[in-house]
Amino acid sequence: MLGRKRQAAAADKQVDMELAAKAVAKAACDGDIVNLRFLFGPFSPARTASSERFETQKYSYLLPDDEQEEERSFQDALELVRSRGVWAHIENEWRMSRPPQLPFELVLRLGDHAVRQGKYTSAAQAYEMLRIRARMQALFLEAADESLDHGDIARAVRGYVVASGLEYDYAAFPEPLPKTPDYQMRALVLHGDYPERPEDCLALQETGQFVMTALSYLLMSDETAARLEKRPESVRLAVLKELIECGDPAWDAFARRYREASELKREFAQRIQRAIEARTAAQGASHKNLAGEIDDTLGADPGRIPIALLGREIEDGEWWQYLKELAFLHPAGILFVSRQFIGDREIIVPLYREDSPVARTLGLLPEAAS
Amino acid sequence: MAGAGDGYINFYEILGLDEDAKPGEVRKVYRRRMKELVGEIARVEITQQRRARYLLEMAQLNAALLVLRESDTREAYWSERQALIDLEQKWRDAVAEASDGADALRRQFDGRLQTFLSKYCEEWMLAAGQDKECVENSHWDAAHTRHASRILRFYRNDLYQKILERLPYAEVTPPAVDWEERARFVRSALDERN
Repeated sequence: MLGRKRQAAAADKQVDMELAAKAVAKAACDGDIVNLRFLFGPFSPARTASSERFETQKYSYLLPDDEQEEERSFQDALELVRSRGVWAHIENEWRMSRPPQLPFELVLRLGDHAVRQGKYTSAAQAYEMLRIRARMQALFLEAADESLDHGDIARAVRGYVVASGLEYDYAAFPEPLPKTPDYQMRALVLHGDYPERPEDCLALQETGQFVMTALSYLLMSDETAARLEKRPESVRLAVLKELIECGDPAWDAFARRYREASELKREFAQRIQRAIEARTAAQGASHKNLAGEIDDTLGADPGRIPIALLGREIEDGEWWQYLKELAFLHPAGILFVSRQFIGDREIIVPLYREDSPVARTLGLLPEAAS
Repeated sequence: MAGAGDGYINFYEILGLDEDAKPGEVRKVYRRRMKELVGEIARVEITQQRRARYLLEMAQLNAALLVLRESDTREAYWSERQALIDLEQKWRDAVAEASDGADALRRQFDGRLQTFLSKYCEEWMLAAGQDKECVENSHWDAAHTRHASRILRFYRNDLYQKILERLPYAEVTPPAVDWEERARFVRSALDERN
């Protein structure tokens, strides 16, 4: 009975084609592949056979507001939608009862708008439908390389970031999908093994190696990072700096907290040293072990260090929880920390290589505060 | 231009044999090729990329032996492959004629393609790692199986994408792409944030 009522309702339905055109133009203009697919899907308000309507409140998000209607990009998109060949095709697709075939002009326009707005997964899907994704990626990489040749670091970084954003994971299950940033997982992999020796510490790697590791991590692609391998170290460092600062608008706030955490770590190190010296100088045997004496002397909680780094406390938080949160908020921040046991407790602490220009360039050193 | 049938895994081609090769010949060529491969692996420095490539080659040779050495498995494989090629051509013809049944054929083909690739690019390749003859010749072990799972999934998806690339467009109208315009767009997109 419900099916018959729905069919009757649908039969009376008149679709406002002006609204339909605007909805399609908005999806293209917003670089929103999900909405565009929905508009051509079986329950689209644009279909006469569907009981859904544009006029209902729940679909107001599909339609442009007055401000957007005035924008040049929207008007261009609407003009494209209304162009004779495209509109005829769209109307035909809404009449058909089969999976839709979207007009390539619209999908291409959507992909381009998505790139301009930083919606890389949407752009990747649009270009992939058109089978031009790999080649678009190559164009962005070439343009980025060219920008580096001309010394335009900012433009080069934009190119590498777009190219990385257009990457696809063909091994994804159940089907190939755009590769999305997963810094939290990558951070755990980078810090997966507890560093037994200084050379095991990521943050203490030799400068050249560290910069390449950092670039691979942030660009989420060894192949893209490898394009920078032959560049002078100063250029790679400048690219890394730009990549970090562009990708993390709150980097300065993190740098400030990093310096505070570094100061806390220095204080603890000094107290431990004094405790060791005091024990050495003390007469008679102590029944307490060194760790116990250090705890007594310290009278402070080493857990303050990761709290300072992150800027907040995670109740009963383990080192990996702080690491994951840090990777989410400041992806590059995890490159300058290390796992550290203090007593029987494992935390993350700030760590950088003293003779490397990287930490200085990024404002992580104490003198950067002045 | 790539034609129907291109891209579907061909175990005869992998071994460098004709379709009427006898089981004895299959074994002989397999052993020779595997011996060469194992020898090469022992000689070169193993990087991550090389490991993936060698693992894939090993899995392909093993699967080729497993499928082609018995007449029933060989015939089943070849007829499935041929049926898929025929179905692809049927679909192409339906698209060319703008027939109503084109979409149903596309879905049927897509399902069969996924099944075929999954069976012969993953299942049989992993199953070959349990076969006594394959294990003896390739020294395949549990570590190989562990690494191969992801590599074979990637290989299967890679083949699927390559086949898809040459098939008629279904989700979008066939695009007319002006690559000079694309290059201009790329330049303007990068300039825009200045």
